[in-house]
Amino acid sequence: MSAMAGAPLAELRTGQVPDDQLLVRARGVTKRFGGLVAVNSVDFDIPRGAIVSLIGPNGAGKTTFFNMITGYYVPTRGEISFDGHPIVSMKGDKARSKKPHEVTALGIGRTFQNIRLFSTMSALDNVLVGQHVHLRSHWWDAVLRTPLLLAEEERATERAHALLEFLGLEARAHTWARNLPYGDQRRLEIARALATSPKLLLLDEPTAGMNASETREMTDLIRRLRAELGLTVLLIEHDMRVVMGISDRVTVLDYGEVLAEGSPAEVRANPRVIEAYLGRGAAEEG
Amino acid sequence: MDEQLLQTIVIGLSNGLIYALVALGYTLVYGIIELINFAHGDVFMLGSMLALTLLVYFGVTTGTDPLTAISLIVLVLAITMAVTATLNVSIERVAYRPLRHAPRLAPLISAIGMSFVLQNVGLLWKGPANIGFPDVIPNTNILTTVLGFDTNVAITYKHLFAAVVTIPLLIVLTWFVAKTKQGKAMRATAQDPDTAGLMGIDVNRTIAITFIIAGALAGAAGLVQVLYNNTTVWNLGFRFGLNAFTSAVLGGIGNLQGAVLGGIVLGLINAFSDRYLSTQWTNAIVFGVLIAILVFRPTGLLGQQLADRA
Amino acid sequence: MSSLIAPVEHGKTGGLPAWLAHLAASAANWPAAYRARVQASPRRTVLMSVLVVLVFAYPLLNRAVLQPFSRNVFPLPAPDDTTVVFMLIFATMAIGLNIVIGFAGLLDLGYVAFYALGAYTAAYLASPHWSGLSILLFSDLPAGFPGIHLPFFIIFWAAALVAAIFGALLGAPTLRLRGDYLAIVTLGFGEIVPVFFKNLVNVHFSFGPIQLVNANLTGGPLGINPIDPPQLFGIEFGVIHGFNAVYLGLAVVIMSIVIARNLERSRMGRAWMAIREDETAAEMMGVNTVRTKLLAFGLGASFAGFAGAMQASYQGATTSDFFMFATSILVVIMIILGGIGNIWGVILGAITVQYVDKTLLSWVGNRLKDTGVAIGSPQLGEINPSQFSFLLLGLALVLMMRFRPEGLLPSRQRAAELHAAPPDQALGSAAVMEIEEEVIEEAEPEDIDVTPEASDAGGGGAPPDPPGRTGGTS
Repeated sequence: MSAMAGAPLAELRTGQVPDDQLLVRARGVTKRFGGLVAVNSVDFDIPRGAIVSLIGPNGAGKTTFFNMITGYYVPTRGEISFDGHPIVSMKGDKARSKKPHEVTALGIGRTFQNIRLFSTMSALDNVLVGQHVHLRSHWWDAVLRTPLLLAEEERATERAHALLEFLGLEARAHTWARNLPYGDQRRLEIARALATSPKLLLLDEPTAGMNASETREMTDLIRRLRAELGLTVLLIEHDMRVVMGISDRVTVLDYGEVLAEGSPAEVRANPRVIEAYLGRGAAEEG
Repeated sequence: MDEQLLQTIVIGLSNGLIYALVALGYTLVYGIIELINFAHGDVFMLGSMLALTLLVYFGVTTGTDPLTAISLIVLVLAITMAVTATLNVSIERVAYRPLRHAPRLAPLISAIGMSFVLQNVGLLWKGPANIGFPDVIPNTNILTTVLGFDTNVAITYKHLFAAVVTIPLLIVLTWFVAKTKQGKAMRATAQDPDTAGLMGIDVNRTIAITFIIAGALAGAAGLVQVLYNNTTVWNLGFRFGLNAFTSAVLGGIGNLQGAVLGGIVLGLINAFSDRYLSTQWTNAIVFGVLIAILVFRPTGLLGQQLADRA
Repeated sequence: MSSLIAPVEHGKTGGLPAWLAHLAASAANWPAAYRARVQASPRRTVLMSVLVVLVFAYPLLNRAVLQPFSRNVFPLPAPDDTTVVFMLIFATMAIGLNIVIGFAGLLDLGYVAFYALGAYTAAYLASPHWSGLSILLFSDLPAGFPGIHLPFFIIFWAAALVAAIFGALLGAPTLRLRGDYLAIVTLGFGEIVPVFFKNLVNVHFSFGPIQLVNANLTGGPLGINPIDPPQLFGIEFGVIHGFNAVYLGLAVVIMSIVIARNLERSRMGRAWMAIREDETAAEMMGVNTVRTKLLAFGLGASFAGFAGAMQASYQGATTSDFFMFATSILVVIMIILGGIGNIWGVILGAITVQYVDKTLLSWVGNRLKDTGVAIGSPQLGEINPSQFSFLLLGLALVLMMRFRPEGLLPSRQRAAELHAAPPDQALGSAAVMEIEEEVIEEAEPEDIDVTPEASDAGGGGAPPDPPGRTGGTS
């Protein structure tokens, strides 16, 4: 259903999407590291139910932007709201950010560019850690093994198995994360992110290091995440076939600024984008 | 100024110089392999025991004529530095190098184990009691006897001795790290051992040299300890080492000038606490300072932001 | 399908009655569960059962058979009751410190501070120290007897509470620090606490209504004594009833095992391990890392509180000299020797270290003396092996770190981490996977060495980042 909603929304630019259809609304987001401006006054919208890609050359500020949405970096300036909740807000001339675990609780799940699983915990335990934020048992429940804890553990384990099943990892439930094949590790990261019950899923280069058929599978999986689980997806990706194939909208960052945004076709045709990717000469020739 | 205050400052400064020598060892090693070398204080302790043994062996004692005493002290200094340098680099080879790629806490625990081993070597060697050593360097006040001031503040030959041994070593070390090729290799390895290795720097050798230097400085400090404080004991390294480590942290660990500054500041803190509070609280105060710095200003006074490589 | 995304529901669970009903049900179900176990893995279950029986019979056996006969007989000397009690006290501490170091990966080098706090809390609440007061509760002492005298089951928990509070107080500002800085801060704390207990003996202090003149707050270097021996159901467990005390210690250790095991298998336990593995990733997955680490610190400290209460009540005296840096390290050594992260391992470590330190070495000394007399060279008897205990322990640490960092009875996870597998292992060969799948079900300590040891060559080249490392910015 949301795939349908995605198409017309993709026509609208940042700032034109009605607020009630927005999941993420970022305005004037800036991040400085010392003298380096990694992200400079970026406005960015993610409509509900959309698959949005963030692309750009290395060092363009994509992951930095990711890290600000998830509360890992505190922006130098700017505002970010998620589903009506402020994640980053200005207080005086300083930006204040929610903590990563608070952001996760609001409903943002993520994966990492270099896989960061809990390597000597089983796949199942990795997914259970993902559910941590929504579990209610306290340490005294654990010490006394109260009915609350037992019921919760049972449900959480069931759900963890269901998530592993969804990603085709059920057979690997008791294998250590670090002993999984690479592709499985990528999918386990997604399972763990799904376990946090996200509304928005941030995927940082999910197909990095994958061959063509694995990449196709991953692309299908991302489509399924939206179609079957109703998720909104923000993607950082270098593989242009993936980006152009599944995105409703693409935003191009370069030197920390928004260079272009629009549908995949628009972005592909944009001479400034070609220039940024291929250099000035290529743009003039083309 | 109050004479008592001045005297406390003199004591603090000269104690601080000895702390600085040992602190440099901590800071050098931490700077290069991010290890708190727990055993370093105990290398210093063994250095002091060796120096004491050699001085006794050579018959240096109160009243030995100055020229003989000085030449023998220089000889003992050289031997002690050589031995502690060898000891330190051997420890690195045996206890730390095999753990270079293990989790961070593994070499730290190994260092604690090494510290216990060395302490017990000291205990077995010299027994559990404090070992005294007679005054070789006179406690004569230079200000009154030589310079003819009329004052109760004492700057003695001993204070002078602490400065004469320590300051040149500090200068040479700073020059070495800043100017020589080997120093450059050390700084590069400290920045990023992997890249340094790729750039053709022999990382193992560079780390070994760092331990050699650190060990030599600890040996020198050991000799100064014996001649200046006239005593040593098997568990000296633990207390003194923690003071020295605190100095290194105080100045900003990994920062050479910081270690010297930190040593001096800590020497002053110790002296003031001993003088105006009570010696029994001095340790608590030192640790209080250590905790406060780590919590509120982990980069130390001269702060060097160490990138968190996690 | 979107139920996959929704968090699990939290139904009503009925509170205390439901819990009691649940306990009753599991108790009633126990024989059936035991039979099922026997059928599932007969050898293991029988072995465990025998072990449990042996543990409970041991104090009897020790007193009736081992102590009278083995004192001078090969193969090994039997420990006396006090040594056994201290084995159990240290086992309690090892279990607690293992939560901090083994589960959560926080190196605490000042654990002795919490031991001291527990001991002094017990001392304050069950001794004539506050002689101006007379507070008696469930006590046989005559009315008006000076001091506070509370029953053991209260001071035991009070000691744990005080230790946990101080754990949280120390942890709150310091748990943001990196691992080795945390180690130093805790070490400092461990050194300061005994200094306070030693020196707060004639305190002059006035602040508003608080007026202290020559107040003896801690008993100074002499410490506090006499402390009431533990008494439960009319049975005494003090040092003159060492045999009883062994059973009290056993009960405390069993309780500690249950608590630690239950924590390990809960969401807290998983969060601790996640933090140990990759703190940033844990935080990004919704774990409040500061709070979770604080919990590990506080709960871990409370076990030292138990141990402190045991020490003070059992021995009837406590002084600051008990609580040296060496004691902190002793517990760390026990954990590492036994097997960091594994509750059974750390208990084994505690027992082994205590045994070697307190019984075996002095026994070896006596044997040397005998042998010296027998062969006519009495100077052999002048060697005192007890002097070597810290030398041996230090050597053990160095050697263990190098050759068997996972300890005698390791936890599978820690073994894998400590052997620092080359990062490309992350891609995992099929062979490794198969083995690991078996290992994960059946805990057999020897299955660990699947991962080759890290290469010794330091400068060989740049090892690629292991999977757990940060990606930085794009």
